[in-house]
Amino acid sequence: MATADPSGAVMNLPRRDARDKLLGRTRYTVDRMPPRLLHAAVLRSEIASARIIRIDTTRARRMPGVRAIALAEDAPGMHGIGIADHPLFASGVIRFHGEQIAAVAADTYEQAQAAARAIEVELEPLPPVLTMADALAPGAPLVHPDWKSYEILFEGGARGGNVAWEATVIRGDTDAAFARDDVVIVESSFRVGRQNHVSLEGRAVVATYEDGRYHIETSTQVPWTVRNMTSKLLGVPASQVHVTVPPVGGAFGQKFDCTLEPYAAILARKSGQPVRLVYSRQEEMLTCLCRENADIKIRSAVTKEGEIVGREAVVLMDCGAYGGEQIFLTTMTAHTLGGNYKLGSIKLATRAIYTNTPPNGAFRACNGVYNTFALECHTDEICEAIGMDPLEFKRRNVLGDGDLGATGQVFEGDVLGPMLDRMERLREKSPSRKHLAGDRLYGRATVVGTWFIFVGPSTATINLNADGSATLITAGVELGQGTMVQALPQIVAHELGIHPDDVVVRNADTDAAGFDLGVGGGRTTVSVGAASVAAAADVRNKILKIASELLQTPPDRLVLRDGRVEIAGIEGSGTTIAKVVQRAHQVTGPVVGSGSFANPGAPAMPGCAAGHFIDAIDIPVFNVHDCEVAVDPETGHVEILSYKVVQ
Amino acid sequence: MPTNLVINGEDRISSRGSMTPLIDVLRDEFFLTGAKVACREGVCGACTVHLDGRPVVSCLVPLGTVEGRDVRTVESLAVAGEPSPLQLIMEEHDVVQCGMCFPGILMVLTSFFQERPHAERDEIKAALVGNICRCTGYERLVDAAVALARRS
Repeated sequence: MATADPSGAVMNLPRRDARDKLLGRTRYTVDRMPPRLLHAAVLRSEIASARIIRIDTTRARRMPGVRAIALAEDAPGMHGIGIADHPLFASGVIRFHGEQIAAVAADTYEQAQAAARAIEVELEPLPPVLTMADALAPGAPLVHPDWKSYEILFEGGARGGNVAWEATVIRGDTDAAFARDDVVIVESSFRVGRQNHVSLEGRAVVATYEDGRYHIETSTQVPWTVRNMTSKLLGVPASQVHVTVPPVGGAFGQKFDCTLEPYAAILARKSGQPVRLVYSRQEEMLTCLCRENADIKIRSAVTKEGEIVGREAVVLMDCGAYGGEQIFLTTMTAHTLGGNYKLGSIKLATRAIYTNTPPNGAFRACNGVYNTFALECHTDEICEAIGMDPLEFKRRNVLGDGDLGATGQVFEGDVLGPMLDRMERLREKSPSRKHLAGDRLYGRATVVGTWFIFVGPSTATINLNADGSATLITAGVELGQGTMVQALPQIVAHELGIHPDDVVVRNADTDAAGFDLGVGGGRTTVSVGAASVAAAADVRNKILKIASELLQTPPDRLVLRDGRVEIAGIEGSGTTIAKVVQRAHQVTGPVVGSGSFANPGAPAMPGCAAGHFIDAIDIPVFNVHDCEVAVDPETGHVEILSYKVVQ
Repeated sequence: MPTNLVINGEDRISSRGSMTPLIDVLRDEFFLTGAKVACREGVCGACTVHLDGRPVVSCLVPLGTVEGRDVRTVESLAVAGEPSPLQLIMEEHDVVQCGMCFPGILMVLTSFFQERPHAERDEIKAALVGNICRCTGYERLVDAAVALARRS
């Protein structure tokens, strides 16, 4: 089969959205204000744990401008990842300060706020568990007394009391490793706090209800999750929910879940008018789905020669009042804290813990940031204990060709070792900048890290138009990362021998595009890109077949380049792609192609991992970072003196 | 009482209350949605506009204080649809990511370069101290601004 000419690929493509973003013309979700728009406000709990005795909306309904009020009874479903433990509104009990009790739509935002404040709520306060230590103490109040009755969406996690989920890894015999008389045992523990994404565009939605369907226009990374979760919470068929996504003004993982969309959807149905719900910065800080706070305990048995014969760790992740993303993220410890290094044996337990605090969520390299921090600090402590240079220790121990990962996954190729060598050469080339630290504290570290491409299903459709342009339809979203405005047009253009300017990329629309797992974990260029390559191949085959007849040449002798189909090696011999498509209209109909992508599915060692959503990482990504910092001990000001990356 | 003001060279009248933040008047009443509401506390700089030629965070400017004054927003930087040299250099250097911070950053730098057209890197960084970019595209942004200063 003929393929596209690689020399025709357009590199360094300017972003097509840059001009309007610079002119102030781009319309993010927060900028969309259709006619007859209503504004919504949410009534939130001001205490962390309580039983709801009574909610009375009589007075609020009579307030000026009020058009609709949504309450728990409007959303009978529960959602979650792994366990359906999360109602849309506090139902019967309050589980965190900031939890949603009711939502109001009114003619103005101020009227909606006033009416929300006028809702009477009678609560019986209960003792809250605010820390993981409180939650795990004997006799601690249960955040979810009915946890056993919840629908299980994914089997395998150990659960009980305030432990929402436990994922474990056991490979080899760590007891025997730690009992050896030729090892040094090094123990470390770390505690990290929550982290807020603070995307400049906070969570925002405009919803309408027309012809028996919800249209949700939202600032999200996951249009299909919003569609499916809204359906589950409202108890309506998913086919009644239509999600579109304007340009997103920052997300960073925060928008990898469905959160505020269903409130606006219910209010739009009840009022018959478009409803806008935009969280204030205060609401964003209160309920943002932070990167979770975590406690990490890790210990290793290491020989004097620096061989890690055993490693054990327990990671506690605070999922807040509902399991959410943390249930899934317990999986990642195996590949972050348990990653990077060859281990003779390993035993890991990662628990997501319920507390009466706001639910947490995804955040750039979820679980990886603090576990890499912990692992590399622990590695330094090991090196100090056995008297070995950290770089030498890392070079001896990083995963190489044929080595086993924590869950018994076999890694291919020597990657990290040569990267460390490359970093050492970079370090030798540029002298230390320690002198710039002056009287301040100075620190330097060279660390290794493993992350992965979070693959999963994607699909793409391409219409090749009679003017020679292509329209790419996917559920991908432009968050600023460039996939939709640079990578995908480049990929499709290359496959079809046209210019990227002639590739129209449709914004995410669940009525137009098939399922997609969402934008996150570096997956969009890989997964939507692969689906787009497959769709383009489908299109290419169709046009080559027609061109073959037009040009009386077998398809494998045809080349697509510069918007033309040429006979290989004879410039100007062929015709334009536009003419081929026009011919197709007469003989086969318009040219459309589709393609799909799913996980490659790297195998793990059977029986190693329990409660894991993925047992092995399909596309590992390795990196080596070196950084020098100066810290002012009085102000805490941190200055980066040098930073080097090999990846 | 209505407030008279000049927005991007046009006489405008707003009937909103005198304590209404200028940003809400610009966005909700005149649909100038370029300036962004991101923190409402004057911290992030995304709502920066020019008031009588000086950059201000419009979330902290009550409407009642701008009677008769001249307001310019990011929408005014391009002349007859042609981007300003600052806008063009940001485009050339592929600086833009999510784009939410740019309306404020462009207004700050436009004003700054009027006074310091040949500014050095450190001065440019200092000028941007009130603008937050959560995509953390700072270095490339400063590179572009430095390139403009060297060109002029």
